[in-house]
Amino acid sequence: MFLRNYWYVAASDSEIGRKPFGRLILGEPIVFFRTEDGTPVAFEDRCAHRHLPLSMGRLVGDRLQCHYHGLQYDRTGQCVRIPGQDQIPSTAKVKTYPVVERYRWVWIWMGDPALADPAKITDFHWLDDPSWGAKSSYLHVKSNWQLVVDNLLDLTHLAFVHETTIGNAALAEHAVVKVTRAPNNVVVTRWIIDQPAPPTFVKVGGFTTNVDRWQIIDFVPPAFLRLDVGATPTGTGAPQGKRVGGITMRNLNAITPETEKTSHYFWGQAHDFDVKNAELTQKIFEQIQTAFYEDVAVFSAQQRNLDLIPNPPQIDINADTGVIQARRILDRLYDEEQAALHATAAE
Amino acid sequence: MPEPDRWHRVAALTDLREGEVFATRLGELELALVRIDGTVHAFDDVCTHEYASLSQGFLEGGEIECPLHGARFDVVTGRCLAPPAERDLRVFPVRIEGGDVYVGVTAPG
Repeated sequence: MFLRNYWYVAASDSEIGRKPFGRLILGEPIVFFRTEDGTPVAFEDRCAHRHLPLSMGRLVGDRLQCHYHGLQYDRTGQCVRIPGQDQIPSTAKVKTYPVVERYRWVWIWMGDPALADPAKITDFHWLDDPSWGAKSSYLHVKSNWQLVVDNLLDLTHLAFVHETTIGNAALAEHAVVKVTRAPNNVVVTRWIIDQPAPPTFVKVGGFTTNVDRWQIIDFVPPAFLRLDVGATPTGTGAPQGKRVGGITMRNLNAITPETEKTSHYFWGQAHDFDVKNAELTQKIFEQIQTAFYEDVAVFSAQQRNLDLIPNPPQIDINADTGVIQARRILDRLYDEEQAALHATAAE
Repeated sequence: MPEPDRWHRVAALTDLREGEVFATRLGELELALVRIDGTVHAFDDVCTHEYASLSQGFLEGGEIECPLHGARFDVVTGRCLAPPAERDLRVFPVRIEGGDVYVGVTAPG
């Protein structure tokens, strides 16, 4: 199940340059490159002539030249040169995709190009906002994208999968969890009031008293999860919306389906304290990265079982509330998109 | 509803906020309390379909939706309004005295 009329993260900004770069997104092979003025461009990664991936070719100025017979395409995807032939057939062109560079990522629109409004790009400003320290990265995941969404909407797994890294028993034992929903949004809020701060928080936040801690998971379809985590000294008003004397971090996740069974996982970590301290940014990043490797191992193991037994029965537990609400939204959006496609096709 | 055998104090009235579900226990019983237009209602917090805490679900108007499978119940009468649940929810009489909330429980059968 893929949702098409959405912006997805296609690559980090540094992955795309003057060397053609191929990536499979929603089952479609796509080639990315930058023109001489730095503008990112995306084509279908298949020559209109004999289907060789254009990512095996090279750039000649702003033209992408196929590695096989040297056909050249301009930035609009139109073939403008066929070696040894003056006439160029009008059908000699490749599909192009709308792309936008934002938040240190290159975004791609996978649906109807007429609907590609950059204002619809999900906000990840923490990744390039000077008032935050941030670092982002990429993981290849051998599982369906929805397993990653599920994982981030139910953080009770921290106590088990991440027992030795970022897990903390207080999260499971003392937390008050609330799930709120809107037509295209699920928010899972977890508060831990008046408990000792975990060691990592004490180290960076310098807490000398008990703290009020929060974990707020914000889900936006199809697969964006922005986590707001932090702590302030107990009684200073964070649960009422006033955050003073504490620390806040953002764990930012954008999952892009590669195939039905593999995914691109773009993520970053941002912090609002000591924001110019690159060494600290790196240290926080590495801590989370270690935990994410633990998750990636879980995803591929789940997918292996799902490959052996497709659509097996499963049970639901109280902690699944956010996961289930998000899946319900995704199912509805998929049905709506398919209905619209069929209506258009019938016209 | 028959006159209950016993009344139990389950919350202070100030624990209950309009439009929010307050979950508590009474022995083995998992109990949910809501306050709607000032009136307190009490019902079994466990969905009649499969185990799920309705207090973690969604209270919309006078209806609560199960967080897991979407069953809906009228929180005043306990009537089941949407599948997959088929049975009504058990509801309990409520009495407010001196700022405390009491729930009446009748032994089943």
